[in-house]
Amino acid sequence: MRVMIVDDEDLARGIVREYLASFPGFELVGESSNGFDAVQAITELRPDLLFLDVQMPKLNGFEVLSLLDVRPKVIFVTAYDSYAIKAFEVNAVDYLLKPFSRERFGEALMRVTGKDEPTGHDDIDALIRTTRSPATPLERILIRDGSRVHVIPVGSIDHIEAQDDYVTIHSAGKKYLKLERLSDLEASLDSRRFVRVHRSHIVNIERLVRLETYAKDSRIVILADGTKLPVSRSGYEKLKGLL
Amino acid sequence: MHPILKDRRTLALYLLAWLIPGLTLATLLVTTVRASWEGALFFSLPGTIVYAFMSLSAWYVCRAFPLPGADVARPLLAILFAAVLSSGLWLAACYGWASVLQRIAPGLAPGERYAEAVPLLLSFGVGLFLIAAAVHYLIGSQEESRRTERNALELQVLARDAELKALRAQIDPHFLFNSLNSISALTSTDPSAARTMTLMLADFLRMSMNYGALEMISLDQEIAMARHFLDIERVRFGSRLTVRFDLGEGTLQARVPPLLLQPLVENAVNHGIAQIPAGGPVHLRTERIGPALRLTVRNPADPAREMPHNGGIGMRIVRQRLERLYGTEGRLEVEESGGVFLAAITIPLHP
Repeated sequence: MRVMIVDDEDLARGIVREYLASFPGFELVGESSNGFDAVQAITELRPDLLFLDVQMPKLNGFEVLSLLDVRPKVIFVTAYDSYAIKAFEVNAVDYLLKPFSRERFGEALMRVTGKDEPTGHDDIDALIRTTRSPATPLERILIRDGSRVHVIPVGSIDHIEAQDDYVTIHSAGKKYLKLERLSDLEASLDSRRFVRVHRSHIVNIERLVRLETYAKDSRIVILADGTKLPVSRSGYEKLKGLL
Repeated sequence: MHPILKDRRTLALYLLAWLIPGLTLATLLVTTVRASWEGALFFSLPGTIVYAFMSLSAWYVCRAFPLPGADVARPLLAILFAAVLSSGLWLAACYGWASVLQRIAPGLAPGERYAEAVPLLLSFGVGLFLIAAAVHYLIGSQEESRRTERNALELQVLARDAELKALRAQIDPHFLFNSLNSISALTSTDPSAARTMTLMLADFLRMSMNYGALEMISLDQEIAMARHFLDIERVRFGSRLTVRFDLGEGTLQARVPPLLLQPLVENAVNHGIAQIPAGGPVHLRTERIGPALRLTVRNPADPAREMPHNGGIGMRIVRQRLERLYGTEGRLEVEESGGVFLAAITIPLHP
């Protein structure tokens, strides 16, 4: 079985490497020390099993998983994170708490390799949802483009447009395509900063310059970069409430 | 709320006490203007009860002119004025009562003879009001001291709460578990490094417990603790973490509350260095600026992630502590620009 270790600390990767060496049938194919590299390496190396640290620079463990098309089996590794641990328990995901013994390591290894299926997409999605505190809105949007990952802080988003199952995110003159429904994105953004002005448009309220009325119930918003977007009646009600 | 009107028992006791001046007045009336006993009592007892209530107004005069004030003359004059005024009003009330008695029970009415008692009644009224004022001052000062005591107690409880919260936040469980994991990893690869790390961790924990129990420590001690913490983190982060100290002349003897810098240093590592793959330097600087001591922690920060400015619990505790200890003279400023995060504490050098 091909294994990869993703952890930003040398020593933490070292102990996994050391323990793993004493279990036959596992081959270490790669290590990554941050989320960006991990996404790229996992895409290229296609490991069967991943030891994944939760707290890492750039992208955390959950974000790494959310960006993978094909997900390997995963054993999460974390020092202390009450949110994550609760999520692991709820979603029956294997995890190790640092520091861990060789026995505990072996148990996790046996349990996860004993399963036929790798951790399913739905499980991971549920996991990611449970780890995100409902009180804190999304701070950045991650988009994968081949093996590259774009991180878009929500503050730099101008507006978002729905296109079938995709959304187009307009940010600083660039466009990014992401497979997500506009309503899901709307729900995870801060509703005081982002307003769904129309069935297929979300607007960053800081970019809004003008609201123009053409006829009764026919309005448009004009953004700082000159973009004009239609405003529905319910969108207008929301804007009125905020402005 | 008036302290005597506050509950019925106090009011009953107060009115009972007024029986003494009531009986005294009756006796005086009998002896000076040769009134009959029944007549004197029928006049003086209702009169003094009315005056008892009127004298409650002394409370407001006492409150308006607290003793000891800047000068003693003003309250005394005010009270004397109030005494004369209420005595005059009382006299008018007595006159009214006398005419009512005249009509309903002429046998008991004081009659013409009481005209001679006017000076007696006036001075009696003034005297009683003065006594009432003195009593009210006494009650006031008692309430005041009780309030101060309660305030002091509340402050103490608040302080202990804050201290406990601070202590709980001081040793970050992340730090502890990650350090233990580093030790666990080193045990097989580099046993002597594992031992060194264990000793450093023990030293740090001992320091934070010993110092945490003190009111104030020297900046020297605080810096030593920060140094220990960063040394331990350097084992974990390896070459990703470098440390620089710039200690200004004459700052190390300054007295600071223990673990003041700790949240700032932890913040620099956890939200700064740990978020950057290449890491960077944590720069700690102490300097004197006039009568103030300034402690600055600077670290690189990932621009794509927001450092916790005011929301972080650590920063909140630092602010609370500074405010409680130094009022407006202590402050915490944070700023982030160009990928550098900076947190600066300013406190008086000699509080």
